[in-house]
Formats: sequence, C-alpha cells, structure tokens
Amino acid sequence: MNDNTRTGWLFVAPAVVIMLVACLYPVLSAVHLGFYEWSMGTPWSEAKWAGWTSFQIAFTEPSVWRSLWTTLKFAAVSVSAEMVLGIALALALESNLRGMAFFRSLFILPMMVAPIAVGLTWRYMFDAQFGLINAVLVALGFAAKGWLAEESLAFAAIIIADIWQWTPFVFIMVVAGLANVDSSVLEAARIDGARWWTVTTRVKLPMIAHVLAITLVMRLIDAFRVLEVIYVLTFGGPGESTEVLSLHIYKTAFIGQKLGAASAISVLLLVVVMVLTWLALRMSNPMRDNEGDR
Amino acid sequence: MGRLKEKQLLEMSKPQGDYDLCCYIVMWKGEYVAKNLVQPLEPYFANVALADPAYDVKDIIPIYYENLGLVGGPKGYLAGPGAKLYGLPYGAETSVLAYRKDIFAKHNLAVPENYDDFLKILRVIKDKEGIGALTSRGQAGHQCVHAWLLHLNPLGGAVFDDQWRPRFNDKVGVQALKFFQEVVATGPAGIPGYGQGEANTAFLQGQAAMYLDSTSFVGLVNDPSKSKVVGNVGWALHPRGVKRASQSGGLGLTMPKNAKHPEAGFLLLQWLTSKAQDKAVTKQGGAPIRNSTMEDAEVVKQYPEFVVFKEALKYSNPDWRPIIAEWDEINIQALGVAVSEALTGKKAPRRR
Repeated sequence: MNDNTRTGWLFVAPAVVIMLVACLYPVLSAVHLGFYEWSMGTPWSEAKWAGWTSFQIAFTEPSVWRSLWTTLKFAAVSVSAEMVLGIALALALESNLRGMAFFRSLFILPMMVAPIAVGLTWRYMFDAQFGLINAVLVALGFAAKGWLAEESLAFAAIIIADIWQWTPFVFIMVVAGLANVDSSVLEAARIDGARWWTVTTRVKLPMIAHVLAITLVMRLIDAFRVLEVIYVLTFGGPGESTEVLSLHIYKTAFIGQKLGAASAISVLLLVVVMVLTWLALRMSNPMRDNEGDR
Repeated sequence: MGRLKEKQLLEMSKPQGDYDLCCYIVMWKGEYVAKNLVQPLEPYFANVALADPAYDVKDIIPIYYENLGLVGGPKGYLAGPGAKLYGLPYGAETSVLAYRKDIFAKHNLAVPENYDDFLKILRVIKDKEGIGALTSRGQAGHQCVHAWLLHLNPLGGAVFDDQWRPRFNDKVGVQALKFFQEVVATGPAGIPGYGQGEANTAFLQGQAAMYLDSTSFVGLVNDPSKSKVVGNVGWALHPRGVKRASQSGGLGLTMPKNAKHPEAGFLLLQWLTSKAQDKAVTKQGGAPIRNSTMEDAEVVKQYPEFVVFKEALKYSNPDWRPIIAEWDEINIQALGVAVSEALTGKKAPRRR
C-alpha cells in the first residue's frame, strides 16, 4: 500500500466505520434476537434461548410464505407501474417550457405526505359508500365497488396508493438523470435522422441506465418494507390478502409478542431484499460498463 | 389505537417511566398485569392521605368495574377470589341497538326483540328501503371478531368452554357467523373493510337503518354536525338469542409500576373518575362510568336513551370474550383472519 492509498483509506475510514456500525449492528442484533423467545415489556433477563426454532418457523410457517408471495406480487406490480409512469412523466416534462417547474413541484407533493396520512386519505377515497373513487365510477356509468371489502380489489387499492405516492420519486430521479445527458449526443443522433422514439430508447434511456437501476433498487427496497399505508388502509385484510411481509413481521412482534420470531422473519426479508438488490445492480451496473471500456 | 399498546409497553418497561397514568383498552389489562407493568390500586384507596372520602367506588357501574379494573380471580380477568383492582373505567361501554324510527314507522316494522326477528328484518329493510339494514364493523382482525362475538354471545356461544377448550367453531359459532354473513349481504356496501369509524359513519349518514354496537356512539348520533339522523333514532336492548347478553368493554385508566409520581397519578385518576367529572364528561358526549351519572335527572333529560342503556347494563356480560394475556394474538391473528375470510366468502362457516 503506497502513501497515497494509505492517506485515502485514512480519509474514508471514519465514514466507513460509522456506516459499518450503523448498518451492521441492527442486522446482527436482529439475528441475535432471532435465537431468543422474548416478549415486549418484559426484562431481557426473562428472554429464553430458543436456538434455531424461530428461524425454522420463519422458513416453514405457511403464513410467512403467503405474506412473502403477497409482497413479491405487490413489489413487482407497483414498482413496474411506478417505473413506467415515472419515466413517461419525466420524458413529458423534461423540456423547459413555461410552467413546467410548477408541474414538477406539483408531481412531487404525494411523496412528501406522511405514510399514515396517505393511508387515511386513500381509506376515505376507497370508502364503498362515500369514497371519491366510487363517486367517479358511478358518474362514469360504472358500478360502485367494495374496494376494501374484496380481496382482489383491496390488493389493487394498496397498489394504487403506492403508485400515487412513489411515482414522483421515479420522476425526480429520471428528470435529474435526463438533465445530465450530453445535449451534443442527442443533437448528433437527430442529425443522423433519429426520431423521438429512437432518441429516447436508443440514446437517452441507455445513457441514464445507471440512474434507472439505482431508482429501481431503491423502489424495490421500499416496496418490500412498506407498512404504514397498508396498516391503515386494510390492516392486511380481507383475510390475509394484503398482508405483506413487513406487516406480518409487525403483527408477529407487537400482537403475537414474539420478538424472536419476528426478528427471524426480518432476516428472511433482509436476505430477499439483498438478493433482489444485487440482481438489479448486476443487470445495469455503470461501474462494470466503465471497467469494460477501459 | 393498536399502536398505542406498543408505545405503552416500551414506556412501562423502562426503569423509570415518563407517564404516571396510562389509558388502556380493556383487552390489554391481563397482559399488562402478567408482565408486571402496572400496579394495584387498593393500597392507594387505603391511603387516607390520598383517597377522597367522597369518591364512592361502589357508585362505579359494577360491570365496568369488573370488566375494566379487575385482574386475577379464577378466570384471570373477572371478579372472584384473588382478583385485584388494577384500573378504573374511563370511557366504558356496553352494546345496544340503535334504529331509525322513521324507517321502522314507514314500513310498520317492530324493533327486533330476538335474533329470529332480527334475522328476518335485515332482508325486509334491505328490500323495502333500499339502504343497508344493519351497519357493522368487519375489517380483518379485531374489528370483525368484535362484531362476530357481539352475536355469538347472546346466541349462547363462547370462544372457550369452562375447561379452556376452544368451542368457537361449534354449532353456535357457525350460527353466529352465518348471521354475520347475512348482515354483510344486507348491510351497507363494504362491511368487510369497515373499521369502527366506517360502521358508525354509515349509520350517521343515513346509509344503514340499524346499528348494534357500543353505547359510546350516542354522543355522535346526537351531534348535528356529524349526524344526519338526529331526532330519528330509537334505542333498544341488544336482541335476545338463547339469552339476553350485551358486551362490556372500552377504555380504562391504570398506573404504571415505573410511574415517577404515583401519588400525583392516583390523585389525577381519582379526579378524572370522580362523580363531578363523570357527569361533566358525559354532558359533553362522553360515556359515563357511574350509576349516579346514568340516573342524574339533568343527564337523563339530555340523553333520554340512558334509560335503555341502564337496562342494557343488567345484561352486560364481562365474560363475552376471554381477555387473557394471549387474547390479542388469538383475536387478531387467528380468529381475525378466519372470520374475515368467511365474510368475503373465501371460506364457508362450518363445524369441525
């Protein structure tokens, strides 16, 4: 290690240490807790060693796998829709026309609303008797629906609420990415006869692929951790139809009072998110591309 | 309210807490005592320096006193040898039937006295009036179980038998669940997604002809800023099944063991649940906990329905649900899923 490298490591060492402690300690703590039976509100001295039992439950309990499947469906549908809509909006509003700044500000408002407020707002909007959604449906000649009373509709409801809140995040990220695209490259493509669609799909989006990948990963992680909106909107029902894994963990920990089992399931969630993140980053890794160019 | 419990558990498990008094839902009392988080109140009432001689504990409605306050005893959550007072009611309730007098008069309907009549009238109202017959909670978890138990109890069912063997899925359990399904079929749209707020709103906004739930609803019903049915509502006893039985529950006040100022906490508790405060809160739309308030001429003039409520208290059952320490898990994670799935038609009610 030469002096420059050593100096570089010294400069980044504090940040690395803080990140390691901040990230690893909670994870290790959750893994540790997974080996105990401990109920909230009791002293730690009353915790009982449970060995691998909680982890066995996490991997064999049907309700865990049901909620994981619900989470996967939720994440796949909502994040896909958010990516498509966010990119489309960003492409539509990237030009610096008059009034575009206002629309951009307007679009990011949902993201700033607290999740509990989002849940409550959509709960009122989806109300079968008095909700805005049914009022619009009836005005358009459709039948009113029991949005939160039927399994498939309740699932659709939580996805709609998530899309409403998080499409603006994709929008912001993509707008920022597009702003950094070299205009001379676009100009060159146009001079070569490329039309809007070709410029967009062959030039713009590939040039911001790394931004799209990071956005996708961040949305996937968030979608896997979603809790408050679903807690307020459906509490996981009807039945267990909208019980995502994080809500299942919440119920296991704070209703079932099984903190060890909840921690074990949290570790499962962490592994799933890490695998998905790794896959998403691997699919579009700017560092790897750059290495290839050298 | 659900997230209140986790905050309270965290607060009360600290070496020294930030709260001297704590408002709890009745279902949590057994768990709090089992975890040694709250303290008995008898020593404070025995302390002449703190206890108000005019407090009159016996004036507190006995069923609320038992249901909200006592832990221990043979069943763990009822009166009996070994039971101690850990809290006092503050926002307690029983169940009554509220009905739209104008709709019942229009179709010449009699107020259902028993569950046979109750079942028949659901369909009649739906067909003749075109609005929901009975509003009800129905959301997965605690809400739908609460509503189902409201019917199970008078029909003669229970969650456990005397030997703590599950019996909720016996003949009566199925009967209560089928009744609940008919409530959903004839009620305002969306009951399987209704929490208490939505169930109340359906009645207050005139979308349901009947309401069967907590007496604490009366303040909202009589408030013209929240209710479109002021002056059109009659009150009756919870219909009879094989027996007359209404629920008991609501909120109570307790003192954490880690309270920093327990004496001050007790004094506040005593003041909040005193005769004068109970009357004042009731007159503002709150739920009374004392017989003296229920019988007070001024209060009864403001709330004539209290005559019916007092009668309903005679049939209020403190054992209509087993509020043992494990009840939250049974209620929300097991029964709360199964009942919800029956309401949406995913599963059929059947005996096992």
